[in-house]
Amino acid sequence: MDNITKKVREEIERGWIGPDGSCPYHPCHFSGQDCTFCYCPFYPCLDEDLGQTLKSKRGSDIWDCSYCLFIHRQEVGKFVMSEIKDREITEPKDPRMKDILKEAKARYHKKGRSLMVLGATSDAGKSIAVAAICRILHKRGFLVAPFKSQNMSLNSKVTRRGFEIAMIQTIQSKAAGLKNPDQYMNPILLKPKGDTVSQVTVEGKPYGDYNVKDYYEKFVPGPGAGIVRRNAEFLKGRYDFVVMEGAGSPAEINIYDRDIANIGAAKIAGAPCILIVNVEWGGAFAYAAGTVKLIPEEDRGLIKGIILNNIRGDISRMATGAKELERILGIPVIGMIPHIDLQLPLEDSEALRGMKSMGGGNMKISVIRLPRISNFTDLDPLYMEDASVRFVTEPEELEGTGAIIIPGTKNTISDLIWLKEKGLDRAIKGMKGKVPILGLCGGYQMMGRSLEDPNGLEGPYPGTFEGLGLFDNVTRWDEYKKRTIQDEGILIKTGEPVTGYEIHMGNSEVNEDPLFKIERFTGDEAEGSIREDEMLFGTYLHGVLEKPSFRRFFLSFVKEGKDVLSASPPKDYDDLIEENIERLAVSFEENMDMERIMKILEGGP
Amino acid sequence: MKIIFLGTASGAGKTTVTALYCRYLSRKGVSVSPFKAFNLSLNSFVTKEGCEIGMGQAFQAWVSGVEPSGDMNPALLKPSGGGVMQLVVNGKAQNDVSSDNPMDSKAVLIEACKAFDRLSERYDAVVCEGSGSPAELNLMDRDIANIGLMRERGVPAILVGDIGRGGVFAALYGTWLLMPEDVRPLLKGFIINRFRGDPSILWEAVERISDMTGMRFLGMIPHMDLKFPEEDSLSDMGGKLEGPTVMDAFISNADSLLGSAEEYGLDLKAIEEISSA
Repeated sequence: MDNITKKVREEIERGWIGPDGSCPYHPCHFSGQDCTFCYCPFYPCLDEDLGQTLKSKRGSDIWDCSYCLFIHRQEVGKFVMSEIKDREITEPKDPRMKDILKEAKARYHKKGRSLMVLGATSDAGKSIAVAAICRILHKRGFLVAPFKSQNMSLNSKVTRRGFEIAMIQTIQSKAAGLKNPDQYMNPILLKPKGDTVSQVTVEGKPYGDYNVKDYYEKFVPGPGAGIVRRNAEFLKGRYDFVVMEGAGSPAEINIYDRDIANIGAAKIAGAPCILIVNVEWGGAFAYAAGTVKLIPEEDRGLIKGIILNNIRGDISRMATGAKELERILGIPVIGMIPHIDLQLPLEDSEALRGMKSMGGGNMKISVIRLPRISNFTDLDPLYMEDASVRFVTEPEELEGTGAIIIPGTKNTISDLIWLKEKGLDRAIKGMKGKVPILGLCGGYQMMGRSLEDPNGLEGPYPGTFEGLGLFDNVTRWDEYKKRTIQDEGILIKTGEPVTGYEIHMGNSEVNEDPLFKIERFTGDEAEGSIREDEMLFGTYLHGVLEKPSFRRFFLSFVKEGKDVLSASPPKDYDDLIEENIERLAVSFEENMDMERIMKILEGGP
Repeated sequence: MKIIFLGTASGAGKTTVTALYCRYLSRKGVSVSPFKAFNLSLNSFVTKEGCEIGMGQAFQAWVSGVEPSGDMNPALLKPSGGGVMQLVVNGKAQNDVSSDNPMDSKAVLIEACKAFDRLSERYDAVVCEGSGSPAELNLMDRDIANIGLMRERGVPAILVGDIGRGGVFAALYGTWLLMPEDVRPLLKGFIINRFRGDPSILWEAVERISDMTGMRFLGMIPHMDLKFPEEDSLSDMGGKLEGPTVMDAFISNADSLLGSAEEYGLDLKAIEEISSA
């Protein structure tokens, strides 16, 4: 406490500084943030609008305001400092500070507004529309958060606090200019485990396994709606705008009354809606009209505008149809967005289904297409290199490959059994020493000597399973416990920085040279395995190919990889995402009536 | 007998469903010909008589047990790049069309109807496939393969919706809703394609669509990992294709899918009633 008081006293002496680009951590909350008060002058304000009371491990109360952004708004930082100076306050403990907070809140703290982007189908363009709107609002100086109440996806990411949320919300959060996504942005994440069962993750932590029927009959009417409300309210209390994303189609009339992902979520959050339709497949007008008309009359008024997305060729040819659609539905078409080639992570396995290969570069990389493949966005950074990625399911497809990657899976043991049935285990072992082989998460576990699942927590039945034996490691599943954590460290061989995150059940006893050194508050930890002479690499780290350090290290083992790599400068995947978000936002701003969206956000027609 | 299968979008499964019904009729001993009045495709097939037709119609002819012919796809538009397309009429390249030099869709429709009539004389059943979605508000007045043919020849229609992408009820209802009033009564039924999982969760919803539109629900076709010819590269769904020749492989895939669809309760008898009316 005394330390904070001292810091605040220094801040008061220094005066208003606005954003502090000289700070190595800047921006630690959002770009454009005010850094005048790195330490809050009101701490502990005990204002429930801004923070919450938590219990410490020893049982005492702690005031937690780690999610509060109020003092970092430029207008607030400036106002508070000028009030302090006007009143000639020098001590943070001055009782008049309370008056200043009260005054600042009266002026600048108001409840956020929300907007829901619904899609007529999956892949309609909801995710990119939310990202684009987040970016446009951010550039106009607003504090914005993305929100998807319920997401079904196998591509997830871990937040700085160790919570798991869908990958796409982390991209949208980046579009909103936020440094760190939080679990509130995707409070319900469904990770399919098989055809009908999903692991339900609530507020970033595993909650339980549900089949479709139980999810709609037990989870949704039970805790579901409350979870959506709690998190939507939380974000609305801290951001100017919450841009929400629906899931699938809002007009699935068989589950309409139990939907907490589309209109249901919009009603909970008090959000007006816009509907986006993908024109590319044809039938867009019918999809739009049908969606609106199947939504019950009492809710239909929530839909304030329609966006026709992904138009190839001349946009104006859609104009007569758009006019007619407006006439039939009485809802304006507020955007006609051309097709843009984007390099943004795919949302779900639907987009991967049927895909055989991606990219057309020189280095041929084979990715084992595990039936329960997860976090396959890990592979996306490979497309920044002169590489082509082929998804293989048969041993003979590995012939002539330059490298092999065994990706993550939602179920290591079931997919290991599949690998053996296919004869891919022998094929991969046969390539040892000939091409580099990389295992990621579940794939890394498979590369070990043995996988022990005495209680059948991971596999279809309890047992000990022989791994590929490429590493002398043993993985065990002793309890239903999931590790979700962000990692930062170095690639030991080169000393270059690496980042990533872990999402896995099971723990490995590693008897190999470590690949990475992970730096934690508690000290350094060894991570991963490497046998350089046999070109074998394995790690639990997802997202580890995003930085060029390890990506290029691994690819340098591909035959002629070094020559191919030296032909182009290394790129950071983060920069690529940023470029894409920017292009997307520019296209939406040019082709969508943003002023109309501002009016809709403010509660207009 | 005549019938047309319309899709709620490209890739909804019109080509395949048309082929399945052709196969069903031909196995019953009915002489059947496929027909698509107008095709926009780069995948073409050359018939014995030297006519260029869409690959989908060749496949449908094979499963019908008949030789592909020019009449089965009397008009074909082949994109040649730069916004220019080659128009093939009655199997022969006729002229290039572009936005400056648009196609005379009335004239093409007349030619297509003549071909339809020739097939109707030769075969007991003509099973037609629509093109894209019939409910494109910006193209409706120039439509040939969907509304155009239905209106000219009074062909009853069945709507095929793809559940894989979600929004299938919206697609079915919206398509029905946007159809011109004179043509709407020809929409007699609908099929849900690419279904996976437990069908019972849909009964209530399909009944509602039925009540709202008067279209009969004719069943579901399960999702299977089989390859069939597609209208265009956009809707390439991948899938298995095995056999000594492409023709054999397609026929064997059609037989597998037809078998599964019947198990899922695809009401082929009802489709026959609709096509005979």
